[in-house]
Amino acid sequence: MSMFFRKSVVATTGLFLCIFLIVHLSANSLLLLPESIARSLYNSYSTTLRESTLINVVGYILYLSIILHVVYAAIITYKNRKTRSVSYAVNHKSENSSWASQNMGFLGVLVLVFIVVHMANFWARIKLGIGESVGLDTDGYVDVYQVTYDLFHNVYYVLFYSILMIPLGFHLFHGLKSAFKSLGFYHKKGLRILAKISLVYAAVMAIGFGIIPLIVYFK
Amino acid sequence: MKVTCKIWRQESADSKGNFKSYETDGLTEDMSFLEALDHLNEILVLKNERVVAFEYDCREGICGQCGVFINGRAHGPHDHVTTCQLHMRSFKDGDTIVIEPWRANAFPILKDLMVDRSAFDRIIEQGGFITAKTGTAPEANAILISKEVSDKSMDAAACIGCGACVATCKNASAALFTSAKINHLNSLPQGRPEAHKRVLEMTQQMQLEGFGSCTYTGACEVECPAEISISNIAEMNARYLKAKLLS
Ligand code: HEM
Ligand code: FES
Repeated sequence: MSMFFRKSVVATTGLFLCIFLIVHLSANSLLLLPESIARSLYNSYSTTLRESTLINVVGYILYLSIILHVVYAAIITYKNRKTRSVSYAVNHKSENSSWASQNMGFLGVLVLVFIVVHMANFWARIKLGIGESVGLDTDGYVDVYQVTYDLFHNVYYVLFYSILMIPLGFHLFHGLKSAFKSLGFYHKKGLRILAKISLVYAAVMAIGFGIIPLIVYFK
Repeated sequence: MKVTCKIWRQESADSKGNFKSYETDGLTEDMSFLEALDHLNEILVLKNERVVAFEYDCREGICGQCGVFINGRAHGPHDHVTTCQLHMRSFKDGDTIVIEPWRANAFPILKDLMVDRSAFDRIIEQGGFITAKTGTAPEANAILISKEVSDKSMDAAACIGCGACVATCKNASAALFTSAKINHLNSLPQGRPEAHKRVLEMTQQMQLEGFGSCTYTGACEVECPAEISISNIAEMNARYLKAKLLS
């Protein structure tokens, strides 16, 4: 199997995950509203998603994307590590490349740790019904808002969720622009614009997701 | 000027190497880096010690023979410069300069600072040429090529095959080299008849030689003496995906 195939899989799944993050952040911004409005909006929105067949199909594509992305990224990283058995005694990488670009594997592992904990906190409880059962709100919707509220009143979870958005930001900053190159986008001026878009995108995602737990905590 | 050169010494391809330090006095700032190594070798000859093996040919930045890793950078501290075009004025009196060969499994060390870069030749053999009748040169204006296309092709053709891209890449990827060679020919009408075959076979060889894949760190384009742009790699990817889909 060629390296081009593997890179195309990582890039395509990565881009799909990038789009997902935009939708996910937009929905989660509801949590920033005052509690009286946020609770019913958030709960009815999440119920709508759970009951939609289309969203459920997209959900399975999403799980598959995460798995493929991680598996192929791991294969790529492993193979690339084997290309240099003796490393340099002195190597000033920071003078010719960004730290994020040199550490995509490490950043990815941190993101994976986040994803696993995050899925255990929400997905496992709400969708799989593992752990403490989730109550209903006054409108009769499953009270997902309360789940987030409780979680983000635990300082350790707040710190975990907020701090791990930093590696996510770095991963996205390098990942977004790289994915386009992997898939053959080579217009020079376009690539310069893309680099700026990646920076803005990564910053919005990291700050956006990172700030929500803090704001909920102080609510 | 006096510096300490900490140099990788390795007797042969299969022997174990190690660093050795040499106090090197009598250098001047206007010496090129290779002249400084020549100077060190003269001292070693007088002392009856084995000279440091390193490669060069043109000493004017065009042949690509002279690459070594100097103080943690391919071709030394500057961007876009070959080792032969580096001068001792880039260092200070009393500095310690760490000099290593290119390190990549696809570039086995032959001796000291010399590596075997014939993997590049084998990539070229898979299509880094056009199949054309030899004989008298054809009339120059028979095939019209726009200025933008010829400039783009020339920019890619500027690659001198020094191997700095591989040396500096965290994945020891030869993507910059291979993409430059592919785009140079595939963007011209002369290269078009064999375009798909070229991209598929040259990239296949690149993988067989044990080079890694590209993570777009961009280190290669910074170290490249010919300033080959990393957009060439993206273009190679586009050509590869197109060739795969169409053939
Ligand atoms: C929200 C989740 C994630 C998103 C949006 C994302 C996005 C991306 C994108 C767009 C790329 C660029 C692909 C390319 O270079 O062509 C990438 C690369 C990469 N990702 Fe992720 N990723 C995510 C999670 C992960 C996880 C969980 C891991 C691993 C445990 C991971 C490991 C990697 C690695 C190692 C690369 C670089 C591969 C290389 O060396 O070229 N990513 N990611
Ligand atoms: S010796 Fe020819 S490029 Fe340096």
